[in-house]
Amino acid sequence: MNKHSHKSAYIVMTLVIIWLVLPLLATIIYSLFEDWTGIIPKGFTLANYESIFTNEDFLTSMYQTVLICIIPIFITVLIMLLALFVVTVYFPKIEKYVQILCMIPYTIQGIILSVSILILYANSESFFGNRMVMLLGAYCIIILPYIYNGIRNGMRAINMNMLLEAAEMLGESKIKAFFKVIVPNIISGITVSSLLAVSLLFGDYVIIRNLSSTDVNNMQQFLYQTMKRSSTEASAVFVVIMLITFLIAAIVLTIQSRSSSEKLKETGK
Amino acid sequence: MSYISFENINKQFGTNHVLKDINLEVEKGQLVTLLGPSGCGKSTLLRCLAGLEQVTSGKIFLDGQDITDIPPRRRGIGMVFQAYSLFPNLTVYQNVAYGLKIKKMSKLEIEQKVTQMLDIVGLSDKIKQYPAQLSGGQQQRVALARAMVTEPKVLLLDEPLSAIDALLRKNLQIEIRRIQKQLGITTIFVTHDQDEAMTLSDKIHLFHDGKIEQSATPEEIYAHPATKFAASFIGNYNLPVVAEFNKAFQCDFQNESIAIRPEIIVLSKEPVEKTEQTLVSQGVIKGYTPHGSLTRYNVDFDGLQLNADVLFNNNMAFDVDDRVYASIAKDQINCF
Repeated sequence: MNKHSHKSAYIVMTLVIIWLVLPLLATIIYSLFEDWTGIIPKGFTLANYESIFTNEDFLTSMYQTVLICIIPIFITVLIMLLALFVVTVYFPKIEKYVQILCMIPYTIQGIILSVSILILYANSESFFGNRMVMLLGAYCIIILPYIYNGIRNGMRAINMNMLLEAAEMLGESKIKAFFKVIVPNIISGITVSSLLAVSLLFGDYVIIRNLSSTDVNNMQQFLYQTMKRSSTEASAVFVVIMLITFLIAAIVLTIQSRSSSEKLKETGK
Repeated sequence: MSYISFENINKQFGTNHVLKDINLEVEKGQLVTLLGPSGCGKSTLLRCLAGLEQVTSGKIFLDGQDITDIPPRRRGIGMVFQAYSLFPNLTVYQNVAYGLKIKKMSKLEIEQKVTQMLDIVGLSDKIKQYPAQLSGGQQQRVALARAMVTEPKVLLLDEPLSAIDALLRKNLQIEIRRIQKQLGITTIFVTHDQDEAMTLSDKIHLFHDGKIEQSATPEEIYAHPATKFAASFIGNYNLPVVAEFNKAFQCDFQNESIAIRPEIIVLSKEPVEKTEQTLVSQGVIKGYTPHGSLTRYNVDFDGLQLNADVLFNNNMAFDVDDRVYASIAKDQINCF
C-alpha cells in the first residue's frame, strides 16, 4: 500500500470515529452542564450524577437489570450444555435440527416475541402466566443463538467425543467427565458468549416494556422515565449505561485476546 | 480359556458389515498386534473390547468373565488413542493421576504411583507442564503412563505412533515393548504398519475385510504367509503370474498363486547351475532402489519382472542393463 492510500485511509477512519464518537461526547458534556443552549455550555455540575446515584429507583433498576440478565444466562447455559452433551454423545444425527432451532431466535424481533408470548400466556393462570417467568423465558429465547454458538464452537475445537472416551476408559462416567474435562476446556467460549448475552439483555427495552409488570424495571425503562422529567439527567443515565456497556465489551475483548494469545503460545507461533 | 477371548464377533454399522465372525484368543502377558489396511475392522474390534462400541453379535470374555455388556468404565481396560486424547486443561501430573483419583486412592498413594510411572516413561521433569507444551512423542508417553498407572487388566493401543516421526517412532516402539515386558501387562496393539507389528509383537493377527486372514508369530507370518493377501501385505513379496513364472524359470507350478520374498532371489553375474532344489533363470537389471542396508533390484526375465534384495556392500553390486543369473530355492517359494 502506498503513502497516499495510507493517508486517505487515516482520513476516512478519523471521520468515521468522529461521526461515531461525537454524539457520545456531546451527551457526556450535556450531562455535565446546567445549560447548553448557546455555543458554549454553562454551569459545570455533577448534580445529575448525584441525583441518579442517590435515586433509589435507579439503584433498584440497576440491581434488577443485573438480576434479569444473569438468571436467563445461567438457565440457558445450563440447558445448552446438557442438551449439547446429549446430542453430541447420544444423538449426533439430530444435531443439525438443534442448530436450526437455536438459530431461529436470530430472526425473531423483540416486539413479535413479546406479543406472541403475551397472546399465549397472559391469561394463563399457570406458572407460565407469571410476568417474571414470561420475561425470563423471553430472554432465554433471545440469547439462545449466542450461547449455543459459544458452547458448540468450544466443543468443536477440542474433539469432545475422544476426550470423553479417554475419561471413560479411566473409569469416569460420561456426564461427570463432561463437567470435569469438557466444561473447563470450553469455559472461555461460554464466558464470552455469556458477556455478549449480558450486553444484549442490558440494552433491551421492547421486551421488558411489553412483558414485565410495573414493579420490574430495567435501566432502559428508567432512562425512558427520566427523559420525561429532565433531559440532562437522562443524559447522565445514558452515560452510565454506556460506561457499563463499555465495561462489558472490554471484559469480552480481554478474555478473547487472552485465549487467542494462549492458543498462539500453545501452537508455538 | 485364554485371558481374552472373542467368540463369533460380528459388528455392523447400518448395512456395512465391519467384523465378520471373529474368533480370537489372547494369552496373559502377551503383546499381540492387530494388523491390516485401513478400514479392515481392526480398530473396531479394539473398540468393542474397550466397550466403546457394542458388538452386533458374539461374546467377549476377559479373565473368564463375560464383559460383552459391561460399560467401558467397569471393564478395567486401559487405552491409548491415536490422537493422545490428553486433557488439555490438566498438567502431566494431573492427567496421569486422573484415573487414580476416580479410584479414590489416597493422595500419598497417587503421588507415589504417578511419580513411579512418569519415571518409567522418562517424563519426571515434565510433571508441571501442560500437554500443549510437550512434543508429540512426550504427549504419547504421558498417554501411555495415564493408561498404565491404573494397572489395567489389558492395555489397548490404537495406532498410538502413527502421528509421530520415523526416528521417534522407532524409539517409542522399543520403549513400549520394554515397559510392556517390565510390567507384564497384556497388550493389544493396532497398526497398519507391518514393520511396527514385526518389531513389537509376540503374535500378529492379520485382518482383511473384517476377517482374520492369518494369526501367527512375526517370523512365521513373514516366512510363511497363509494367503496371497497376507503375502502382499507382509514384506515386499513378489507375486508373479504363475504361468509367466513357469515359463521364465522353466518349472511347473500348478497353484493359483505363488509368492517369493525379494531376499531369497540370489543374483549373480556368473552363471549358476540349476539343481533339484533351485530354479535358475537369466535376466536383465531394469532399475534399483537403495534401501540403506540393502538395494532392491528390479530384474526383467523375458517380460516377467521380479524384485531381488542384495545387501549393500559399499558399492552397487549391479548396474542397469547388467545381465544377471537369478537362483531361487524351491522350498522358499510360498504357494497358495
